Amino acid sequence: MKFRGIMIDAGPMREFTNIVTTISKLSKECVLRLSDDKLYFIVSEDNSGPAPPVLWCEIPQVVFFSEYQMIGIDEEHKDIYLSVISANLAKSLVTLKSAKSLKIKLTKKQCPCLTLEIEMQSVISQQSRQVTHDIPVVVVPRKMWSDFHEPKVQTPDISIELPTLKQLRTTIDRMRTMAQEVVIRASAEGKLTLQIKTDMAKVSTRFKDLRVEAFEGPIDHSDSETESVAIEDISKLCHCRVDAKKFSMFLSADNISHNRTICSIVHKKLVILCLYTQENVKLQCFITGIVY
Amino acid sequence: MKCHVPGPNVKVLGRTVHVLARFGDELYLESLPDCVLLKTLNASESAYAMIKFNNSFFSYFKYNFYSTEDNESLKCKISMKSALNAFKSPTHMDKQVENLEIKLDPDACKLIFQFKCKHGIVKTHYVSILDCKATQAVYTKDQVPNRIITSQRLLSETLGNFQSSDDQVTIEATNQSLILRNYVDANIELTKIIRTQINLKASEFDSYTVGVDTTITFTLKEFRALLAFAEALSLPIQLQFETTGQPVVFIVHNGTTFEAHFVMATSKPDALTQTQASSQNNSRTDYKRKEVNNSVGPMKKKPHLDIDISKCLDEDSHLFNYIDIPEETDLRPEKNGTTEANAAEEDNLQEYMDCDIPGSPTSRTKIKSVFKRCFESTFDPRSIQGVKLVENSDSD
Repeated sequence: MKFRGIMIDAGPMREFTNIVTTISKLSKECVLRLSDDKLYFIVSEDNSGPAPPVLWCEIPQVVFFSEYQMIGIDEEHKDIYLSVISANLAKSLVTLKSAKSLKIKLTKKQCPCLTLEIEMQSVISQQSRQVTHDIPVVVVPRKMWSDFHEPKVQTPDISIELPTLKQLRTTIDRMRTMAQEVVIRASAEGKLTLQIKTDMAKVSTRFKDLRVEAFEGPIDHSDSETESVAIEDISKLCHCRVDAKKFSMFLSADNISHNRTICSIVHKKLVILCLYTQENVKLQCFITGIVY
Repeated sequence: MKCHVPGPNVKVLGRTVHVLARFGDELYLESLPDCVLLKTLNASESAYAMIKFNNSFFSYFKYNFYSTEDNESLKCKISMKSALNAFKSPTHMDKQVENLEIKLDPDACKLIFQFKCKHGIVKTHYVSILDCKATQAVYTKDQVPNRIITSQRLLSETLGNFQSSDDQVTIEATNQSLILRNYVDANIELTKIIRTQINLKASEFDSYTVGVDTTITFTLKEFRALLAFAEALSLPIQLQFETTGQPVVFIVHNGTTFEAHFVMATSKPDALTQTQASSQNNSRTDYKRKEVNNSVGPMKKKPHLDIDISKCLDEDSHLFNYIDIPEETDLRPEKNGTTEANAAEEDNLQEYMDCDIPGSPTSRTKIKSVFKRCFESTFDPRSIQGVKLVENSDSD
């Protein structure tokens, strides 16, 4: 098992730090999967046993690394899966924003480590200095790899582009103080509604004129309560109730400079939030719906 | 003794008190005929700080203000808390305080700080004197072989790479470079801690003389505090040290008015941090396991206090059972004696390269020999032939 990668461009290094920082906010531990062409950060829900990942992040290595070499265990198992405490990785990468280069490799120093060799430019002098961080990792055994496969989800009923994450985040964070759950509604006409209900009040925030990426036509509302708005065409409306905290956590990803974010909803079951960046990084968050 | 400190210098004095507060809980103030010394020592007596203010620091300085006897220096000890109270928020002090008067009467029981602030406000702090003794640390600073002068910026930039949870730093000095790394305590599990190493070239320092290559370890808390002090005053830091075990001295001075010495005890470097020291590793884990056993034992017993003791013993024996998972690696060292234990371990290390989850075979064998009797009745002889009771959980 071998891995070695070098980053020399400031832009990708900053972006990589942002991604890792975001992931460290979302979870305590994550799995870093290294494959020939991509790096994956995978987060499974804590203490929930074998469950499909809740976060799936793909990073194409070509854009980020100037040099990238890896050898897996054997021909059949080309990938490397490493379990790492995400905060450790994030804390070590903090200084990367002002670094000249980063060399990242898998080493064995008493325990398996991900060694980060950061070449720092000294602020005072013209010299550069070498900073080495050894972050302990756990190599995930092959038989557990299946726990970290990309979740297979049914085709979402609707995929709609989200408004700016910052705006969405302030909205959600306000709502979070009042209720734990938020209902996300999306219609084929490009409307997105976030709604909470408390004993005292019902608060909704509506966003309109959003681009609808896909709509898998009419939605069956036969089993639901008939409280939805009558004016709108109900068959074009899709909704899901989710944990507000989880939703808000995804929105903290707004420090990653992204091109677009898509919210896909499987009616009443699942919300998939997906963020794409210019460098072809894809960060996906799966939030299961709460059903009553 | 009576002295006046002008406004801008009050800020410096305030910062001094704040850095001293990071070192110790008591503040010693000593007045000599031409200077004032502020000193502190931490509770474990591993760190000492002394800051000397020459009389040019003061706008007015009279040593024998109260008494005419000149033969003995004036000394007092006050609590650091009360000193901190007098010097709250040093950053804004120079804007508010115009003048500070400090009075120390050898016959009185109070030390007086009188702040004359803007708009005619006068704040007077009467600080109780706890003792009339002084402290003096013995250390050499000028004859040491290793002397480094550096800008405070370089060091604080360097320390920024360490985690805030790190509490000690190891400095490895050679005549080409200075290597700083976080000290990993033997009791901390290696899989939890980030090991950081920073390599500074000799040319980065303003002056760099290392006569004897050495490795020293000292606490980061005080180091950070004194760096913050040097940074606030933007003064360079002079580092002087000898070898392991000898104190390291940090000197911050502005030439004429004041000079600060921070002395810290150094301890042995941890061989484990970067190098592979299998034998130490061994005893370390062993120690930890034992500790775990000890602590778990009584806890487990507690709820069963009323129930008969055999039950307790049963409970306890479970504690050892988990160690008894027969593995070939476990048995080899036991059969061959301790001399081969290291060799076996080397083997393990080799095997371990292919192995996904690192085991800790050595500790198991140690435990086994320590609690040998416990195993006698439950020991399964089949396992010697390599019969596995439990399938290896890790096929890789």
